[in-house]
Amino acid sequence: MTQKGASFDKDLIRELASLLEETGLTEIEVEHDGKRIRVARGVNLTTTLTTTGDVPASSEPREAPRPGKRGSPQSEEFIVHPGTVTSPMVGTAYRSPEPGAPPFVEIGSKVTAGQTILIIEAMKTMNQIPSPRAGTLIAILVEDGQPVEYGEPLAVIEQR
Amino acid sequence: MFDKILIANRGEIALRIERACKELGVATVAVHSTADANAMHVRLADESVCIGAPPAKDSYLNIPAIVAACEITGADAVHPGYGFLAENARFAEILEEHEITFIGPTAEHVRLMGDKIQAKVTARDLGIPVVPGTGLISDFDEARAFARDIGYPVLVKAAAGGGGRGMKLALFENELETALQTARNEAKAAFGDDTVYLEKYLVHPRHIEVQVLADGQGNAIHLGERDCSLQRRHQKLWEEAPSPALNENERVRIGETVAQAMRDLSYRGVGTVEFLYENGEFYFIEMNTRLQVEHTITEMITGLDLVIEQIRIAAGAPLTLRQEDIRFNGHAIECRINAENPHTFRPSPGTITHFHPPGGLGVRVDSGAYAGYTIPPYYDSLIGKLIVHARTRNECLMRLKRALGEFVVDGIETTIPLFTSLISEPDIVDGNYDIHWLETHLAKLGARG
Repeated sequence: MTQKGASFDKDLIRELASLLEETGLTEIEVEHDGKRIRVARGVNLTTTLTTTGDVPASSEPREAPRPGKRGSPQSEEFIVHPGTVTSPMVGTAYRSPEPGAPPFVEIGSKVTAGQTILIIEAMKTMNQIPSPRAGTLIAILVEDGQPVEYGEPLAVIEQR
Repeated sequence: MFDKILIANRGEIALRIERACKELGVATVAVHSTADANAMHVRLADESVCIGAPPAKDSYLNIPAIVAACEITGADAVHPGYGFLAENARFAEILEEHEITFIGPTAEHVRLMGDKIQAKVTARDLGIPVVPGTGLISDFDEARAFARDIGYPVLVKAAAGGGGRGMKLALFENELETALQTARNEAKAAFGDDTVYLEKYLVHPRHIEVQVLADGQGNAIHLGERDCSLQRRHQKLWEEAPSPALNENERVRIGETVAQAMRDLSYRGVGTVEFLYENGEFYFIEMNTRLQVEHTITEMITGLDLVIEQIRIAAGAPLTLRQEDIRFNGHAIECRINAENPHTFRPSPGTITHFHPPGGLGVRVDSGAYAGYTIPPYYDSLIGKLIVHARTRNECLMRLKRALGEFVVDGIETTIPLFTSLISEPDIVDGNYDIHWLETHLAKLGARG
């Protein structure tokens, strides 16, 4: 558990925590004004983690972090939220079209059906992941450059 | 040596390969479909990646997903196991293009042996005995001359054939003309092509296969034979090594013929050359360019770990074993435990409520099953292999009987009762069976009700 920087939005964390309860998710991460907040709950603990300043920009060439030993795919647990978008393939998820570029979608912004929200690189091919519906992007569940499995939750889009 | 091997398979064989990797100190990556998230091969691997939905084409046959899984985990080699992508030459090529080692032969050899006609021509050219046959037959006189030469019965086969159509048997010369005519008519109707050829027909053959180990650098040895005659619908159920039908001279002769052929081919990895065997003669069927389900019995009688050898060779190490280093010790039998009704062979997926594998000296169980494990309905029904090893075939049969009696798998139906009943059949005790024996036996049991 890391707490860096003086100010973090307690209300936002509370809001996210209650969202966790409500949706049955185990982890939510949001990014706003260069601050990233992740609220996660494990078996019996709630962790909050905030980072300030720049999100580490992925360097060229993009090196995929190695996933550690994973538990069974979280899919069943995550898929219950009707707005969860799961990964259609194995690969490396990126939030922006190229390193340093702004993300495809910011948390909290509106998306249209078919709008690209992420890309997943597999076999040197960039695969655009479209939003399945119109709504608001309320959470991105993967970090930039994170390896993802088939069926892994990527984002939550709330229908309006 | 590799740092990390991705195992592109599931079930007992994925577990088998993980064991070899662990003993070599190589990290493992399991891949799995959503249906196999709780499988033992996933639990025991160092890392795991979910690669797709339950149908095999979306997961275990999904080449882009498997390559992507290598990329995100940094695996530098892939072991394909058996089935799925194990004999897919394109897969081997794609891995090579991505600088990932395919643990197996060259794509060229996989492709060569995957084409059954090319394989037979290649085998013959390499000095491996094949079923005597003709080129295309133009008339009855030509057919009769050939049949007299090799002896009856003969099989008339459509050149464009497949699935048994355009195939007619002539037991005696007076049946040849009719067989020829009928085969031609059927071939014309089925394939629009009435060209046929003749082949010697084997009445009571055994299925005997020779295991080879080669390094792609011109070294190759054979590891003896396996007798896999006990089959149902071309599915092997019981395998033993050595074959009860071969003597030492025959073993050395066919083994050396095959090993020499592999040297000439510069074959790399493990491979199996399958034969029909009748009256002291071998007839090539096909070559499997991969690890086989029944490789275990060869391991038991040679004391070699074939998967470790396979991985070493794939990593570029030369074969250090020489033929004279190979000693055949005792007898081994493998029974395939399938989640099937032992009488109807209907698949029996479901949850295993209780699982107790047998133990003791000379008993090996390769299985990913455990109490509470649910067998998914999407894949084959093999849930484990019981392998027993003893000094003699008689001791081996007694040990098998004892081990089968200890084996408990509750909640689903398995083929265990079938093997228990086979043990007391005089023909099995005597090793007196051919490739038709099991189906004939099952038909008799069925008729008796």
